Amino acid sequence: MTNLVQFYARNAQEVLGLVGQHLSLVALSTGIAIVIGVPLGVALTRRPAWRGPVLGLANVFQTIPSLALFGFLIPLPLIGGIGATTAVVALVVYALLPIVRNTYTGIAGVDPAVREAGRGMGMTDWQLLTLVELPLGFGVMLAGVRVATVVSVGTATIAAAIGAGGLGVYIFRGVAMVNDTLILAGALPAAVMALAADGLLGLAERRFAWRAR
Amino acid sequence: MASAVNDARGASDTRAESPGSAPCAPCKGAPPAERALSGRGPRTTSTIALSLSLLPLILAGCARHDRVVVGSKNFTESDLLGEIVSQQIARRTNLPVERRFHLGGTFVCHAAITAGQIDLYVEYSGTAYTAVLKHPATADSAAVLATVSREYRDRFGLAWLGAFGFNNTFAILVRRADAERYGLTRISDLGKVAPRWRAGFGYEFLERTDGFPGLARLYGLRFAAAPTALDLGLTYRALADGRVDVIAGNSTDGQIEALHLVALADDRHYFPPYEAAPVVRAALLARHPEVAAALAPLAGKISDAEMRRLNALADVAHEDIATVARDWLARNVP
Repeated sequence: MTNLVQFYARNAQEVLGLVGQHLSLVALSTGIAIVIGVPLGVALTRRPAWRGPVLGLANVFQTIPSLALFGFLIPLPLIGGIGATTAVVALVVYALLPIVRNTYTGIAGVDPAVREAGRGMGMTDWQLLTLVELPLGFGVMLAGVRVATVVSVGTATIAAAIGAGGLGVYIFRGVAMVNDTLILAGALPAAVMALAADGLLGLAERRFAWRAR
Repeated sequence: MASAVNDARGASDTRAESPGSAPCAPCKGAPPAERALSGRGPRTTSTIALSLSLLPLILAGCARHDRVVVGSKNFTESDLLGEIVSQQIARRTNLPVERRFHLGGTFVCHAAITAGQIDLYVEYSGTAYTAVLKHPATADSAAVLATVSREYRDRFGLAWLGAFGFNNTFAILVRRADAERYGLTRISDLGKVAPRWRAGFGYEFLERTDGFPGLARLYGLRFAAAPTALDLGLTYRALADGRVDVIAGNSTDGQIEALHLVALADDRHYFPPYEAAPVVRAALLARHPEVAAALAPLAGKISDAEMRRLNALADVAHEDIATVARDWLARNVP
């Protein structure tokens, strides 16, 4: 433990840099996953036939080992190569499932009677979605984003395997050299970050639940 | 998620996971006893009876002193040599062999064997000398071997058996097209192009005393940017796809030919010799001297070219490692 404190004291600059990289990897990838995942989840509620294939595909993405995924991505233009782009693409792929699934579940779980009432009032599909379904399903959707974010904080350590930095650098270096202090130096801030993200989003979820009541 | 970790020489490599390479994880299926347990349907009762009768056998199999646990590092060559050693022990002794292959890098294997979790794995003299014993690198092959076998015996209770005969040194690799265009044959030649080039290395190569910092100092290398740190297995693809211009690989690698890469000569003799040999717990050899006798015929049997050929069989032709090992043993160690 004293080793760890000394390590941080000596490498404060580098640690902060890696924490910053880690945070931006998580923020960027989760953001992109939301932009793709939420509309996709909504689309599934409108086209139930797509549900099986799309969720199945998202499931399959989850099972691809990160190194294999990197291997496939390296030769690709635009989304490939080595560095942050490839890492973000991989993290988005891994974050999609909880977001798509919870968006779908959140909206599908809205009481049909409420939906009927909306329709009875003459709402268009767009109005029904934005005024009824999204507000009512928001709590469940947020829970999906919460899971995706927390998982991304852990998963982002693999970015170090493709030269994108982040806290994984210490973990990779530590495992290669069997240096426990180094491994902890990377794992500990990542764990704190995951707890913080979970806490903050949990707070948002509760506030929302309270307002909805 | 840090399952990925890796690096070089001996140290490790995840080629197994990168596409276009062999699925070389050779943890061969479930033991027969376990397969017997998976019976179902009307034969359930007899299956239970059978499994109960097998229980003492299974337990006996778990007893420490009755088996040889062979480990290997996480790259093809180490798996291959581990498999050759395992099959040879199985052929020549009555000891059951348990395979614990594709463990992390050098340091994971070393930690495992000193803790008694494995009995044997194949290590490289230069890796043991610099990375484990932390001596400054030297090119004197005999001195390295003498120091390594003495210190391994005294400090860790490990015996260094006869070397296979090849030297798997670090290979500083560039694309063949670049080598021809800029006339590169030696690492010294890199100096003139380095300021415009990008390098990508595994984590271990960047950290080791016989790794990048010393290499850059000796050859005066300065690249356009600090080398990118990435997973060793991915460096080959990154080089082949033009994402970086220089990497450090293994000289006996089957991929070098296949991906049209060229190894630059170490003209200032920076890298120590890396001669592969089985490292065995002395306690096991004392109890079972037949293990050393079984492995003795393997010494000096594999040349650089032969090792490259075997690696290519596994990595490029995607042949099963157990098959490659069996064929080689049948032909070379009658």
